[in-house]
Amino acid sequence: MNEVNKFIPTKDITLFRSCLVSAEYPGTEASTKYVFDKLGIEYVIDRNQSCCTGLGHYYDIFDELSTTALAARNFAHAIKNDHKQYVPMCATCYAILKNAALTLNTKDDVREEINESFRENGLEDLVYHKDDIDPVNNITHVVDILYALRDQLPKYKKRDLSGIKIATHHGCHYCKVHYNDTQGGVRDPEIVDQICEAMGLETIGWYDHKKLTCGCGFRQRYANRELSLETSKDKLESLYNEDADLLLVICPNCHLQFDRYEKVIQDETKHEKYMPVLNIAQFVALYMGADPYKTIGIQTHTVNVEPLLDKLGIEYEGVDDLHE
Amino acid sequence: MNKKIGVFLCHCGGNISDKIDLDKVEEELSSNPDVVAIKHHDNLCSLEGGKIIKDQILRNDLDSVVISACSKVTHGETFQNYIQPLNPYLFEMPNVREQCSWVTEDSDKATHKAISLVNSAIESVKYNEPLSKIPTQVKNKVLVVGAGISGITTANALAKQGMEVTLIEKRSAVGGAMVQVGKVFSPEKLTEDCAACLLNPVINEMVHNKNIILLTNTVLEKSSRRNGNFDVLLRKKPMYIDPEKCTSCGRCTQACPSIAPDEWNEGLITRKAIHKPFPQAVPSTYTLDDEDCIKCGACLKVCPTDAINLDAIDEVISLTVGSVVIATGHQRFDTSKRPEYGHERYPDVISQMELARIIGVNGPTNGQLKRPSNGETPRRVVMIQCVGSRDQLPGGNKYCSKVCCMVALKNANLIRTHYPDTEVIICYTDIRTVGVYEKYYKYVQDNDIEFIRGRPGEIAQEDDHMVVRIEDTISGIREEIPTDLVVLSAALEASQGTIDTANTLNVAMTEDNFIKEKHPKMMPVTTDIEGIFVCGTAQGPKDITDSIIQANAAASKISELVNGGLEVDPYIAVINVKQCVLCGECINNCIYQALTKSKHSIHVDPISCTGCGDCILTCPQEAISIQGQSDDKLIANIEGILKNKQEDETVIIAFLDDIGNVSANNMGINRVDCPESVRIIHVPFINRVKYEHVHYALTHGASGVFLGEYPDNSKHEQIRENVQLMKQHLERDGIDPDRLLIHSVFIPYFRGLAKQFTDFDEELKIKDN
Amino acid sequence: MQVKRREMGGSKQDDLAHRILRDIKASSDLGLLRCVQCGMCASTCPAARHSDYDPRVVIKRVLDDDETILEDDDIWNCFYCYNCHSICPVGNSVCEVNQILRQMAIDKDTGKKQIESFMSFADSYIDEGLGIIPKEYHGQLHKDYGKHWGNLQENLEEVRESLELEDMHLYPEAKDEVGKTLEAIGFKKKVEEIKKVRDNYE
Repeated sequence: MNEVNKFIPTKDITLFRSCLVSAEYPGTEASTKYVFDKLGIEYVIDRNQSCCTGLGHYYDIFDELSTTALAARNFAHAIKNDHKQYVPMCATCYAILKNAALTLNTKDDVREEINESFRENGLEDLVYHKDDIDPVNNITHVVDILYALRDQLPKYKKRDLSGIKIATHHGCHYCKVHYNDTQGGVRDPEIVDQICEAMGLETIGWYDHKKLTCGCGFRQRYANRELSLETSKDKLESLYNEDADLLLVICPNCHLQFDRYEKVIQDETKHEKYMPVLNIAQFVALYMGADPYKTIGIQTHTVNVEPLLDKLGIEYEGVDDLHE
Repeated sequence: MNKKIGVFLCHCGGNISDKIDLDKVEEELSSNPDVVAIKHHDNLCSLEGGKIIKDQILRNDLDSVVISACSKVTHGETFQNYIQPLNPYLFEMPNVREQCSWVTEDSDKATHKAISLVNSAIESVKYNEPLSKIPTQVKNKVLVVGAGISGITTANALAKQGMEVTLIEKRSAVGGAMVQVGKVFSPEKLTEDCAACLLNPVINEMVHNKNIILLTNTVLEKSSRRNGNFDVLLRKKPMYIDPEKCTSCGRCTQACPSIAPDEWNEGLITRKAIHKPFPQAVPSTYTLDDEDCIKCGACLKVCPTDAINLDAIDEVISLTVGSVVIATGHQRFDTSKRPEYGHERYPDVISQMELARIIGVNGPTNGQLKRPSNGETPRRVVMIQCVGSRDQLPGGNKYCSKVCCMVALKNANLIRTHYPDTEVIICYTDIRTVGVYEKYYKYVQDNDIEFIRGRPGEIAQEDDHMVVRIEDTISGIREEIPTDLVVLSAALEASQGTIDTANTLNVAMTEDNFIKEKHPKMMPVTTDIEGIFVCGTAQGPKDITDSIIQANAAASKISELVNGGLEVDPYIAVINVKQCVLCGECINNCIYQALTKSKHSIHVDPISCTGCGDCILTCPQEAISIQGQSDDKLIANIEGILKNKQEDETVIIAFLDDIGNVSANNMGINRVDCPESVRIIHVPFINRVKYEHVHYALTHGASGVFLGEYPDNSKHEQIRENVQLMKQHLERDGIDPDRLLIHSVFIPYFRGLAKQFTDFDEELKIKDN
Repeated sequence: MQVKRREMGGSKQDDLAHRILRDIKASSDLGLLRCVQCGMCASTCPAARHSDYDPRVVIKRVLDDDETILEDDDIWNCFYCYNCHSICPVGNSVCEVNQILRQMAIDKDTGKKQIESFMSFADSYIDEGLGIIPKEYHGQLHKDYGKHWGNLQENLEEVRESLELEDMHLYPEAKDEVGKTLEAIGFKKKVEEIKKVRDNYE
């Protein structure tokens, strides 16, 4: 596996907010902040930032030009705010932003068309100049940073998370879209496995369908539910065969697919396997001692995380109103 | 510079004189004080013409001669002989036929242009020096790096021609990949033959030939060029076991506690640190792998002849050779770069070479086809082609590895022949069995091998067997194929040894890290560096047959060098020792390794030097020039051309390289019109033209400078960069950079060249007005 | 089956493949013309595993300049998982080609019908600068995700507060600017056109 040469920031970061993180798994954002604070990473959150369009883009509602224009707008704010290191929590945001920067830098006609539309509509501040944002070095996923700093994680260890079978799922839009910039392997993605290893935790490593998508398929989850679930089933059954206790993800869309549909699929397949899903940031936060409800936000997960905490011997306090 | 110059004007039987008014030319020249004799003749190339020239040289005591006639390509050598007793390099030939009378419609214009060309030759010939061809001698000692089938073959061929060969091999036994494969295909007989049986006589010949010294466990460590030869340093690993004393009793191996993977069996089984690589190994002594040895001394205690010395040290051998052959072979694609096939994960996913070992009679299972996981005979074997070949994604190779189809067919056929109950499926994208190999393909198909056209995406394990996921692209059906064994046809890649050797010898590599040939089509086995040759898979993927052909070709090219009694043209770099500060910049830049440094001077190897003049550009002291082609001579050329320039005349100075010059001659031969403004100066390489020449031309009356470059040369990109730089300099100096133009030239595209001249001429005429 | 005649002549520049290669979405080194139909994409494609969709055939039809593919439901089965993109030995990307084909289909009414049920996402973006799970499907989602999810939807603000997270919504002036950007780039107009088709369809 070739190591990828890209800049990993520890300051001047805009933590790029994700719609699915915000509305479905806000604990991922709180956990990322918790871990970043521990590691001394300097970042801001900017309420000028809009959604990357990712979901809409892949529902085919947003065309390339609109998505790129909105990215140019976001880039302008990050630059103005002196925090142009974009660090998304979502794999789709990561890929969309990288692609937009690449397009803006390399397709002169597209950049000009977008800039022209800005100028004609009183949005001069948003004009993008070639190479304002470097798609390789200015846009990195949270997992890139955790991976780069993985050797520091044991310094902040508060909880022993060993003794469970951990499986990893690597978001397609982190690994496969801009595959030249993917750390930890594309064809056998191991970035999350290696972060775990640095924390002294073994993972199950390879399993059949490890590279397979979670199954959301963007529109498929909604418009083609059976097709979507058949694919998730392939993945989950392989994980059940491996007897995994926990599935780690790096993307809220994968998180949602596995967590919210686990019961739906088990009802169909008659499996009775318990396998909660955590984002890697949540998992690292747990390792560093974060509160399961007040930081990790496990109450928003469909699959209860508490039995896993019990198994790990982690105490938790507080009431989960959502699960009644 | 006062020189007595004679000018001879050839009519070429009307070819020149019908268009050009040679009397007018003579009239113009007669006012030139340097010209002491002018003679006409209908055919100067005739014997009579020769007499006239010789007579004038003697009569007027001429210093040098200008012969206004046809192209140097046609009659250069003729006139070189005719000007005796003058030195054969003391003449110039303005080409007023192909490049003037044949391409200019208007008679007056042609005459005006001819005068300009002759003037150029007159000014230029003043700088000609008496030179002579350089006789050279290449040492008849050769270093062959790598003792696989290619290296051994080339060593044998050289030794049989009386050359002294040192054959070195990194491993402890010779034979390379061929000793491992077990069987080789024979497309003519439609059989599989025993590789060892074919290879052994070749190895024996090498061992017994007195002209070959074989050094195993030896690598090339350093090489430097001196006087056209190579001073090389070889490093031979310690000889822990004295071959004279060792009786091959094997007690040491029994006693040794250190276990390592057996590389001769692709790691399928293990061996001891002290071992004999395989029963038929040459040399046949035991060997000790010091990376695995823990120096416990157990072997010392049991050796009956005291043959083992664990304190042995490396040996460094220095050698001077005239030529080097790179025969460093290949390595197989690292299948961990395609983890979806699980080669590292699943014991029953193996490579073709592992399969070859398993079915090889001297392999780990004594030739029995057994699954590595459980020792059972597989019910089905699925082969996957193009693993790491024809794959442009990271880690893969864009090229086709050329041999894998035949290898798969061979192993499939062997399995089907010996295990009729075992099914074999080959998953392929294209079957490439070119030439007569196609007959073998048909023959193998008749043995009931299944072919699925598709490239599998992944392999999974299911209970006690594997599953191959594939689409049969002919039926369009996605399939999961259960199988007991999967065999990956892994790409052939440049070996680390090839890359290391290329770096040590400073030989160029292709984008795929194979050794680069000087011209991949016209100059096979020859590298950019005179005296270094390549053969076998070090040059690219190929089978045994092709490797042997290349090995013999390399030997024959070396024979040319050694036995040819070479005489080379004197147009080589010369270094002014007074100016030279021995900084070495020129040495680093010379891609032909023609320059070497000794204590007090830089030496130019006449065989290696092509006279390209690249070193001139790099020398901070301006101490280098090309013999017979000085910068001043080029300036004189330009000065001569511009001498008769009229007030409103557009003149283009066109510097053309060899190919460009021939292309321009073709314009004449085919009577394609060329603007009369074009004045061609033939230069050996476009890089010879410096900014000072361009600047001189454009500030002394030329309207434009045209550079015609054949792009298939190793300095192409640098040349184009230089031109960009020159354009910047022109801008800085207040000269329109568009007056300098570079174009690619090709021999058959003379009409294109004429069009480029015409376009440039029109453009300049607009600028001039 | 009838014999197809492959007629001579005609410009290759305006066929489907070249239009795709020129599309704003196409990567500069897209290996579309280099496809040799090896089927590696199909062998691991999730949609191909569970439906009639075949990525290799998509490319075949594109290279055959078969415009009817734009009317075909199959192209709407791609997961956009980029698996084919990350393994194609010649650097092609069926995933990218599909995205372009769908945009071409959307330029016609057939495509607009495929996406009309996702239009609440566009509305949310125009109003809030944020994406949402399309409201059109909430009925099924409530069934699948159970009551917990309903509770989360109702109590999201409180949950976020307990996690000490900032307001997830954009500043009002930022929302305004997003709206202007969408107007400037022509997105709003496009949304109206899609809705028009939906309304006619209903």
